[in-house]
Amino acid sequence: MTTVSDGDLEALAERLIAEGEVRGEPAADPVNLPMIRHWVDAMGDTNPIYTDPVFAAAGVHGEIVAPPAMAQVWTMPGPRGGKTTRSTVDDLLAAVNAAGYTGVVATNCEQTYHRYARLGDLLTPATRLTSMIGPKLTALGQGYFVTWNVTWYDADGEPVTEMLFRVLKFRPRTRGESGNGAASREAAATAAREAASRPAAPGATAQAEGGGPAKGSAGPGSGGGRRPYPLKPAKNQDTEFFWEGVAAGELRIQRCGDCGALRHPPGPMCLACRSTATGYTVAAGTGEVYSYVVHHHPPVPGRETPFVVAVVALPEGVRVVGNVVDCAPEDVGIGLPVRVTFQAMDDELTLPMWTPLDEPAGGTR
Amino acid sequence: MTATVKYDEVEAGQEIPARDFPVSRLSLVMYAGASGDFNVIHWNERIAKSVGLPDVIAHGMFTMAQGGRFVTDWAGDPGAVVDYGVRFSAPVVVPDDDQGAVITISGVVEEKLGDNKVVVALKAYSGDSRVLSKARAVVKLA
Repeated sequence: MTTVSDGDLEALAERLIAEGEVRGEPAADPVNLPMIRHWVDAMGDTNPIYTDPVFAAAGVHGEIVAPPAMAQVWTMPGPRGGKTTRSTVDDLLAAVNAAGYTGVVATNCEQTYHRYARLGDLLTPATRLTSMIGPKLTALGQGYFVTWNVTWYDADGEPVTEMLFRVLKFRPRTRGESGNGAASREAAATAAREAASRPAAPGATAQAEGGGPAKGSAGPGSGGGRRPYPLKPAKNQDTEFFWEGVAAGELRIQRCGDCGALRHPPGPMCLACRSTATGYTVAAGTGEVYSYVVHHHPPVPGRETPFVVAVVALPEGVRVVGNVVDCAPEDVGIGLPVRVTFQAMDDELTLPMWTPLDEPAGGTR
Repeated sequence: MTATVKYDEVEAGQEIPARDFPVSRLSLVMYAGASGDFNVIHWNERIAKSVGLPDVIAHGMFTMAQGGRFVTDWAGDPGAVVDYGVRFSAPVVVPDDDQGAVITISGVVEEKLGDNKVVVALKAYSGDSRVLSKARAVVKLA
């Protein structure tokens, strides 16, 4: 499957980035009221500045304007494509797919509105491939962050809107060949290819946004018919409340039923007053890395190395051991603010893990 | 629309009350047509699930645009948004039932800049999932 190496990709990216801004074809139609009306209807936005000429005439623009978030709509190619010009983004994404990074999630979108588009504006996109960063290990799998910028120009060549768009192109995690794993992997690859063919068009943007790691495609054995995660936590009468909390999306910390002292991991007796009466409190779910290791070896069933194991200090006053995910191991450090995230490991097991509270640009969450 | 918010009357730290924006399968079908984004994961449950998603998910640009509209409605001047950026941190899952999903958006005036501009930081949740992170809009007020 892999016919393009990472080295090839990086060389190609460098070449394509050097091409700079490449103009696309102008929009099929100028900015027009029917398309605006369909769009604001879909949004449920009844602001008359976008549709009522009398109201709009009295507003700051003095005429009807298009909602700024319609920026990329004017030059979307539609499901039948029909684009004839090549783009550096298309070229790179095709190669990234060929290298096996067939999954895609959008991670960032930033728009700058120089002015609001007016009825009759004919917009022409120009696309610049900006960067390809990676390969990085993310919760979705190994992948590259690909960033491009689009500027839409009006008929006078003045910029109307600029957009930065970033996607993570990832190699879907491999699973065992048993069950329907292979079939669903093929389906995933097909859908991912379909998705990946879209954002490359200048202005064609949205695809599998926010395929967040906790929500399915991240866990080992994602897709239909998950492979059971091989390591199961030991549950007993002392820890049962903790795992019930995890299943309910809560991080529960044991609290002494008499003196109220918190303790973790859970145990049968309070270390402060020796009471065996227990209860729990629900932690806020934030903390900071107190210490950590990066596990490279030996291999752990069901896991991909390297991964981070951290001791996280909670504001409640206890420390909890867990993985830090959604960022590269080198981005983890002592004092890193984190929040809890519940990761589905298979159809039944969920594990609490930690994710940077304020991830650097380019993370997946 | 709403009354126009004045720059001089806004303070850093000021909160913008949360609003709910419902999303149904109908919204997504309409948005697909209106935006030209026909990616299957936004309308085809079978394929969405086959790629590991829990169900059909909303277009990220739909969620982002609702955030922009939230700011616009607050500012009372749709010409006001100058810059707007988000991270897509979790999908908005839209089940095929009568309720669909709800995106709850709230904001806070994070900073007052010169030239009548303010930075509004947005929070967008769908259920317990934070669906946009690092969402900030620069808005020019009256």
